Amino acid sequence: MKRHTLRAVALATGLAAVLAGCGSGGGGSTAAQPSQSASPLEGAPSWCGSKQITLGLLDGFGGNSWRLVTTASGEDEAKKCPSVTKYLYADGQGDTQKAISDIQGMVAQGVNAMVVFPDAGKAILPALRSAYKAGVVTVPYRSDPGGEDGVDYNAYVGSDPTADATNWATWIKANFPDGGNILFLSGPPGNTQGTTERAELDKQLPADKYPILGESPFEVTNWDPAKTQQVLTAAIAKYPQIDVIVSDFGPSLVGALPEFAKSGRSIPAVAASDGNVLSCFYEDNKAANPDFKLMTVTTGNDNVRLAIQYAVATATGGVPPTNLTFEAPVFEDSVSGKPNPVKCDKNLPADVYLSAQLPGDAQAALLK
Amino acid sequence: MTDATSTDRLRPAVARGSRFATAKGAITIVVSTVVLFIVSAIVAPSSVSGGVIASMLPFAAVLAIAGLGQMLVVQQGGIDLSVPGAMSLAIVVVSHYPNGDDSRVLTAVLIAVAYAVAAGALNGLLVGWLGLNSIIATLGTNALLFGAVLGISNGIPRSTTRLLSDVAAGRTLGIPHAALFALAALLVVAVLTKKTVAGRRFTAIGANRLAARAVGLRVRSHHTLAFIWAQLLYCLAGILLAGITAQPTAFQGNAYLLPSVAVVVLGGTSLLGGRGFPVSTVIAALFLTQLDQFVLALGVPFAVQTLVQAAALAGGVALYTVNWAALRARFGSRPASGPAATPSSA
Repeated sequence: MKRHTLRAVALATGLAAVLAGCGSGGGGSTAAQPSQSASPLEGAPSWCGSKQITLGLLDGFGGNSWRLVTTASGEDEAKKCPSVTKYLYADGQGDTQKAISDIQGMVAQGVNAMVVFPDAGKAILPALRSAYKAGVVTVPYRSDPGGEDGVDYNAYVGSDPTADATNWATWIKANFPDGGNILFLSGPPGNTQGTTERAELDKQLPADKYPILGESPFEVTNWDPAKTQQVLTAAIAKYPQIDVIVSDFGPSLVGALPEFAKSGRSIPAVAASDGNVLSCFYEDNKAANPDFKLMTVTTGNDNVRLAIQYAVATATGGVPPTNLTFEAPVFEDSVSGKPNPVKCDKNLPADVYLSAQLPGDAQAALLK
Repeated sequence: MTDATSTDRLRPAVARGSRFATAKGAITIVVSTVVLFIVSAIVAPSSVSGGVIASMLPFAAVLAIAGLGQMLVVQQGGIDLSVPGAMSLAIVVVSHYPNGDDSRVLTAVLIAVAYAVAAGALNGLLVGWLGLNSIIATLGTNALLFGAVLGISNGIPRSTTRLLSDVAAGRTLGIPHAALFALAALLVVAVLTKKTVAGRRFTAIGANRLAARAVGLRVRSHHTLAFIWAQLLYCLAGILLAGITAQPTAFQGNAYLLPSVAVVVLGGTSLLGGRGFPVSTVIAALFLTQLDQFVLALGVPFAVQTLVQAAALAGGVALYTVNWAALRARFGSRPASGPAATPSSA
């Protein structure tokens, strides 16, 4: 009898311990939930709660000007919330192994929340999931790692990949109501960004009025300025009329557009992503090229801000933003001047993105 | 059995093949290039229009200059894998240091040249004096050069100055400046290697190092100089490329490693060293660049573009490296069913 009782007690204690362990260690259902006890901090943005946290920002590849500006924007946003007492940054340097161990390292260092640029995509997912299960608020942004919100991480904060294409198509229809020939340039063969954009362009622009010239889904440029130049040269010779060039990396066009002038043709309309170098190129060349119009969408450096807001709100007990899709709005339009006319600042370096919230001078200081 | 016979057949084939190449190299590449232009004109006429030719020539010029550098190293029996690092370093030096200020371009060019001499001396020391394999040594140098690239630029591209753009991408009387630079480089390399005593010694050393040493030639100095000259040419190619692309990336040189070797091989210079063919190398650069424009103008999918390029390259290299006489002898000597017969039936 006695022995049986003892056994039962031991079993019950053990079970309780296991259950308790599950609860505190972060079983699937309880992982990284918003903290209920805290409340928004006075004098700070509503997404900033009162619970003090350590925040980590992780980059898969940090070595270009766009990433530098984005990283600085993330830090700038985090600073707005005094509850973020410690801020850490790690750069995966384009190495998937390092990106994974960076995530694990941050968990080991006891961060409460982390915002991750998952460059390596699905390869990063297991690391994200284990951080999330360990109770860290985990927010991938910009590049979709696969997986599901609330299962593999708290939430993915990305932009709508079709938004840019929609903006370009709307502008093209407004400025070329009678139709026009379009040349669409994107990066390496098969990249999802270009493929998605092309599908949306096809959906919005009737093929009989707005034929998209050249290779399908896009002319391959690898986002490389030299390759872009060769591709554009071939296209100029091949197609007697190009009305609009659409490019998802505007700055790489700068070396290539003068090919039109060399062939005795005006630079056509350009719908692309923004960059100071492209805007200044427009200012310098618009007079000599009567058909040159420019419309840009923001390159989305501020996507990171939305991700930080959500991560900090969830971890500190603030009010999270309701819309978790980053809206990449139109930035410049040389025709309507709305929301901005073309913005060129010749005193700033070419690699500055004036569409970002971070001021141009601050970006210039980063790039020094 | 089969192995033994095939190696026996291969042995004389290599020697004969290399003699074949030296005699026919220039003719082959000139004929190929002319044929390519004719095919371009018929199949994809837009690829030979004036505008395309004028825009293609600067890129051909950059490749030609890099190829001439590679040729000097190949003549000494080596292969230089530091082309990407060398060109990228020249690009970031001439775009980051002036930072838009035309008056600093000349200083930047001098700095780039200093880097080039240092990198060439390092390669020369490792290969010429310490006797390291050139592939290993230059791979290491390439990593060092990329270290310098990242140190200067953090991987961030920067626009080149207007002056450099005008000099590199401008045209005089319709001729792209870059093409003039390539012609000048060709003239210097051709005259130095073909018409001077030093050039003759250089070739002799590449052809047979032991014999050259036996007759008292300064083998190590010539080896080292080959690498320094090569670096200077890569440096020139990089500076021109920076001007031509206006907004170069920090890793712009990466695309030039294999093409720089390809033009040397297509130009008929043996990878075993010896005689170099500067004119053929430059024509091969024209061939490869026009091939790029041709496949772009064809309007075929990217995968097909890549296949066409690969096939043309394989064909070009096969002209020199496959022992056609032996092949003919092998299949010609068999009975009518020869090629179809399996080894087991033989």
